[in-house]
Amino acid sequence: METLDWIIMLGTLLSIVAYGVWYTRKVDNVQSYLLGDRDLPWWTIGLSVMATQASAITFLSTPGQAYEDGMRFAQFYFGLPVAMVILCVFVLPIYYRLKVYTAYEYLEGRFDLRTRTLTAILFLIQRGLAAGLTIYAPAIILSTILGWSLRWTVLFIGALVIFYTMLGGTKAVSVTQKQQMIVILSGMFIAAMILIFQLPPDVDFSDAVGVAGKMGKLNVVDFEFDLSNRYNFWSGMIGGVFLFLSYFGTDQSQVQRYLSGKSLNESRLGLLFNGILKVPMQFLVLFVGILVFVFFQFYQPPIHFNSANLEKLENTEYADELADLQAQHNTLFLTQQEEVRALMDAIDMENEPAIATIQERLTALRETDKELRTATKDLILQADPASKIKDTDYVFITFVTEYLPVGLVGLLLAVIFSAAMSSTASELNALATTTVVDLYRRSFAKDKTDRHYLNASKAFTVVWGCIALIFAATANLFENLIQAVNIIGSLFYGAILGIFLVAFFMKKVGSRAVFIGALIGEAIVLVIFTLNSMEIINIAYLWLNLIGCTLVMGIAWILEQVLPKTTATDA
Amino acid sequence: MPDYQDHQPLPDDGPPPILKTWNRMYLFVLILHAIIITLFYWFTQAYS
Repeated sequence: METLDWIIMLGTLLSIVAYGVWYTRKVDNVQSYLLGDRDLPWWTIGLSVMATQASAITFLSTPGQAYEDGMRFAQFYFGLPVAMVILCVFVLPIYYRLKVYTAYEYLEGRFDLRTRTLTAILFLIQRGLAAGLTIYAPAIILSTILGWSLRWTVLFIGALVIFYTMLGGTKAVSVTQKQQMIVILSGMFIAAMILIFQLPPDVDFSDAVGVAGKMGKLNVVDFEFDLSNRYNFWSGMIGGVFLFLSYFGTDQSQVQRYLSGKSLNESRLGLLFNGILKVPMQFLVLFVGILVFVFFQFYQPPIHFNSANLEKLENTEYADELADLQAQHNTLFLTQQEEVRALMDAIDMENEPAIATIQERLTALRETDKELRTATKDLILQADPASKIKDTDYVFITFVTEYLPVGLVGLLLAVIFSAAMSSTASELNALATTTVVDLYRRSFAKDKTDRHYLNASKAFTVVWGCIALIFAATANLFENLIQAVNIIGSLFYGAILGIFLVAFFMKKVGSRAVFIGALIGEAIVLVIFTLNSMEIINIAYLWLNLIGCTLVMGIAWILEQVLPKTTATDA
Repeated sequence: MPDYQDHQPLPDDGPPPILKTWNRMYLFVLILHAIIITLFYWFTQAYS
């Protein structure tokens, strides 16, 4: 990295942190710390909600996913706007009416303390795991590409986040997220523009889109119903609605964002703003990946995008075999480039038979290239069986570091670090709030002073930050980072959402039924996930949200009918 | 700690800044979403 890149990256990150700390210097009571004085306007809420969801993984992994698999991942977000509307209609008014600090407080009034505590603990488990991964995932990629130590990268992200989140609480999280989101959106837009301008002079934007389409990368919508297909319209619209209802309606890291709104209306507008912008933003991020794919049709891509793996391999006995594979890969690239140019000409002339013939030849060439890349991965594994060979998460960062001009590399790295910091900050803030409000203040240290709970909130922010750092520093890399986070979410979100839906809509179901129903439902989801992992059954993970939610609601309703009624009222 | 107060009136702050009612705002978001999906579908069909 050049000096200018360092200045831009560190300048951007540190000035945002400094602004957050300065802005929240007067936070001196627990309500201000946990709810940010409830004075945020809708655009800050909307950007804050988006920044919480968009982690660094989104900007590292998603373009790589588009590079490899096309744009079908966009469908994952199709349920989000629907979920936003449902939340605005049914959920926000309840939270505002009760003036709660956390979503789980509501459950005690509706059911009982143990249901509130169970749900809070389910949240702490899944969000605590995810917080570590939110730091670890970008750290391992950035440390590899930039040649930094993994531990120092984890510590750099974690220490900055813990510092301003601990000092300023919710308001620090929200105001820094607004700045971070502006940097992120600007950075991704500039990256897309640069990609278009860096294509060869004879390749314009419509050529790029045409080539990507004919090479099967613009598969945004697929209406075919298939339970085993991870991303199609139906899994996005049905499974996605349940996932996002649960995430935005019951996950404290999101609930806390809109509970700090100036009014119910500001919070509603913030969520609707997210509902309108999220899908196009995700489309933009995926489209950047598609442009990177087209770019590498004209500029030689590496045979493997994790350069650290290649460097290691070059210093082993397998170096000659690697050189041979690379030579074949380079020759194949030249042939493929000629075919892509021929495809462009055929598209221009609307010569459908020629397009079909070239598509077939390109498919065969790409298949051969895939074999070469797989052979390289096999070599990497032979040289070091502990190596992580999935390299799609490295595609975008490779383009950034090797092809962007000086200055923009720093900006794009600031984008990735900003995204890591913004989502981690929300998570730490929510974990601390839930720990203090739902467990510590409720069950362990009642009737203490406001100052005591403020200090406890700050202490728990640091504690959760340290837990996340320890997890991040020791965790092993999942095969696909973004999916790992979503899978962890899908394991617990269904049951949590089920509890909340029973609370909102099944007024006759009481606490005993929902508590047992949640335990059984969660156990069944974990069994299904295990069977899936053992490849005994094949169900895409998004459906776990729907299954978990339906099970909790169904079992709770049945138990309410069959369990003997107690004299004490449940609800 | 707030008590369970399910029957309190809603803290409705009035209409949204545009479109006059919240139902219209929700409908606007859903229609916009449907248009976006339709455009994506057209995009998929046109270029694949």
